[in-house]
Parts: sequence; structure tokens; C-alpha cells
Amino acid sequence: MRKVSIWEVLFVPLFFLLIFYPILAILGNVTLDGMAKTFGDPVFWDAVKNTLGTAFCAALLGVLMALGFAYFYIFHPGTVIYRIADFMNDLPIALPHTVAGLALLLAFGRNMFGFAGPTGLAFTLVAVILAMFFVSYPLAARTIASSAEEIDRELINVARSLGDSPPRAYRRIVIPLLGEAIFSAFVLGFSRSLSEFAAVIMFGGNVPGMTMVLASYVFTKVEEGEVSMAVTASAFCILLSLLLVLFLRLEVKFRARSKRTA
Amino acid sequence: MLEARELHKSFDDRHVLKGVTFGVGPGEIRVLIGLNGCGKTTLQRIITGILEPDSGSIRIGGEEITALPPEERQLGYVPQNTGLFPHLSVRENILYSLKNGRGSVESFHGMVELLGLETYLDLKPKQLSGGYRSRVSLARALASSPRAMLLDEPITEVDRAKKEFVLPLFRETLLGLKIPVLYITHDPWEAGEIGTSFSIMKGGVMSPISSPEEAFAVIRQEARDSGE
Ligand SMILES: Nc1ncnc2c1ncn2[C@@H]1O[C@H](COP(=O)(O)OP(=O)(O)OP(=O)(O)O)[C@@H](O)[C@H]1O
Ligand SMILES: [Mg+2]
Repeated sequence: MRKVSIWEVLFVPLFFLLIFYPILAILGNVTLDGMAKTFGDPVFWDAVKNTLGTAFCAALLGVLMALGFAYFYIFHPGTVIYRIADFMNDLPIALPHTVAGLALLLAFGRNMFGFAGPTGLAFTLVAVILAMFFVSYPLAARTIASSAEEIDRELINVARSLGDSPPRAYRRIVIPLLGEAIFSAFVLGFSRSLSEFAAVIMFGGNVPGMTMVLASYVFTKVEEGEVSMAVTASAFCILLSLLLVLFLRLEVKFRARSKRTA
Repeated sequence: MLEARELHKSFDDRHVLKGVTFGVGPGEIRVLIGLNGCGKTTLQRIITGILEPDSGSIRIGGEEITALPPEERQLGYVPQNTGLFPHLSVRENILYSLKNGRGSVESFHGMVELLGLETYLDLKPKQLSGGYRSRVSLARALASSPRAMLLDEPITEVDRAKKEFVLPLFRETLLGLKIPVLYITHDPWEAGEIGTSFSIMKGGVMSPISSPEEAFAVIRQEARDSGE
């Protein structure tokens, strides 16, 4: 008989117990009654709309900023600003997201620039977007920068010899070659934003119908003792992430195939 | 006339160029021969403006260009790996500089015809053989109406048998433009096929030499001395 590896023995049961089973627990606890209550709750649909909308904006902002970061990476890698930005990209990995939320609250949660009320941007949808952006941007920046690293510098040199200024070479050569990475960065940033809770609740608050997102909806329903609604909303989130993962996988496969046939 | 005077360049404590001086006239193809790592590409990058020299000057047609960024030098450049833009078709590659106000549609057609690229215009670079890739790279540089050309081992990826065909074509094309050409290679045979004059790079300086055979003798001696 084949000797079974310790890794196999360890991995299979633990994977099912610790990862798969909890997901099943959610899906298994969905009830018709919970579904009826949740899907009949306008606040739920507001939360869905808010979540998708803000996550979309945060991901878009994240990609734009990441492209800015990659520009510095390619054209000004020796500068102080690049070094700081590069260093800061790793910071949020270890940072509790409540801290990120508090930081944003202190920075923008007051009357500033003369265009916001006494609480500044706090507890608005903009705050939700900024909170999501804060935690998802580093992911987008890493994704795009690591792809930019693989672009042959000689292409940029040639483009410049053909008359391109650095911004022009970036637009005509680098950005098209980053296409795939830009897409991945967007989907990753979007996913990360969907899942954000702590930073959003600290800075955006949890105003039902206003700044409440799916993550905070689930939390609120648990707090209110409406477990069946929390479970339904959670199952909804699980399906949403499954869809996203599937989308990303299919995209990768599709690109691999079109590359092979091209 | 493309001229360089007393170019120096160090990387950290490595003094790579130690006063490179040369001149290439219009209609001249000066081949620069040197061993691996002697600083040929460093010189090319300084002339095209990608690297800054520590000291020295570069002139083209009497104009001082040492401080100009690469996009303002109007020098054509063919790198070792051809540097074709993979996301663009052959046509878009060759027409690249047109959007920057360089060259013309006529010069595009001229180059395409001269280099036999008519039937390849809609292909992507990766669909071409090495020989055709270097033709496209040359056509792209020439279509930008450069004031001088730099080629850094442009046909390294081409099979030897095909080189015998490509080199005379390149030579004829380049000579027809009557601009200064600096052609970098470490292959003395290739040098003889394309060059009208020859220089050798050794010990961080560039000196004229009468023939590729002589250059070969010198670098063979150098290689032997360095124990390779
Ligand atoms: N950006 C750089 N930083 C540090 N050292 C460098 C850099 N570019 C080149 N060098 C060094 O300078 C020397 C000359 O390099 P260069 O590429 O100019 O040689 P080359 O003659 O073109 O060689 P090859 O025939 O292999 O192309 C080498 O020792 C190389 O390691
Ligand atoms: Mg070289």
C-alpha cells in the first residue's frame, strides 16, 4: 500500500472542518422565512446597492492610484516619494482595519476644506468609498506593479527614441501591456472592498439605508437577534464572492486560450 | 555627423567608459566591435539618452544634444531583442512615430517595400521569425526619419544562414539614407558584412581600426589574456 503523507492526513480533514464546513453551515441554515424577511427588507437592498456601488468606485480609484504608483515605479524609482509609497503598500497587511478607519475618521471626519458639515466626510458614502479604497489600494498597487516589473524596459527606451515623452510612452506602451493586470487589480480591489467591515464602520458608520453595506448589515442583524436574516444576507455574500472568483478564473482561462491561439 | 567627445561613465566604482571619442559621417556605417561587457550597450544608451554620461559631450549635425531627453534627439535605435511592441501589429509598430510628428506615410511605404514587409503588415510581432522581427525593428526606426541610427546587435536572434541574406539588405537600406550609422556587434564576420568603417572598444576607449580581421585579432588576444 502507498504510504500516506502527513500533509494529506493533515490537509483534507482540516480543510473540510475549518474552511468548507463553516461555509456549509451558513448555506445550510438559510430558511424560507429568513429569505422572505430579508428580501422583503428595503434596507437590505439599499445595503446591496451601496456595497456594489461603493466597492466599484473604490476599486476604480484603487486602479487609478495603482497606475500612478506604477508610473513612479517605472520612471522615478529612485525618488523619495516612490520609496515611501512602496513602503506604505505593505503597511496595511498588519494593520487592524479599525485603525485604518480611525485614521480616516481623524483625518477627514471634521469640518475641513469648507465643503462638509461638522463631521466632515464621515458617515457618508464617500467615507465608505475612502475606507474601502484605503484597504484595497495596496492590493491593486502590488498587482499592477508586479506586472509592470515584467515589462521589458527596452520597449520604453525604443518608444522614447521614437518621440514619446514618458507620460506618452506610459499611455501607449505600458498601460496596454498592463491590461490583464489592470483587470485583475480591479476585481481584487472590488472583492477586497466588498468584504471590508471594520474600516467602513469606523469611518462610514452604519446608517441603515445610507452607509450600511452588506458586511455591516449582517453584523446589525446578528446584534438585533435576527439571525435568519443575517444568515440569508451572508449566503448572498457567499454567492456573490463565488461569482467573482468564478469570473476571475474564467477570465484567466479565456486569456490563456486566446494567447495560445494568437 | 554624429560625434562623441571624451565620454566617461562609471557604475559605482566600475569605470566602464574612459573617454570615448568618435565621429561618424553621413553615409558611413561605423561598426563598433568589442567583447562582452566592454561597455558597448552603455555607450549606446548614453548616445540615445537613456543613460547620462558622467562627463563628455555628444553632437549631431553640430548641435549639442548631451542634455536632451531621448525623445528630443531624433536618433533611430534598434535594440538587441528588436524591442517590437507586442500589442501592436507590424504596421502600427512601423507607424509608431507618426503620432509624434515624425516621418511620413511615404517613408513608411518606402521602408516596407525596401525591407519586403508588405505581406506581414497585419501580423503581430510574435508571429514573425527573428529575421523579420529585426527588419520590422529597422523599418520602425528608419520610418521616424532619424538624424542618425544606432543598432545594438540587432540581428543576434537571426539564424546564421539568414544573416547572410539580411545583412546586405540592411547595409543597402542604411547606406541609402545617407545618415551616420553606428552598428554594434561582437561578431567580426557580421562587422565585415555591414560596415564601411570599423572601431574597436577596449579598456573603456574606442579606437578606429582598419578591418574587422584586425579587430578580431585584437579581441582574440584580449580574450586569451583574460583567460576565456
Ligand atoms: N545599469 C547598470 N548598473 C551597473 N552596472 C552596469 C549597468 N549597465 C551596465 N553595467 C556594467 O557595465 C559593463 C558594460 O556593460 P555593457 O552592457 O555596456 O556591455 P556590452 O559591451 O554591451 O556587453 P554585451 O556584449 O554583453 O552586450 C558591464 O560590466 C556591466 O555589468
Ligand atoms: Mg550589449
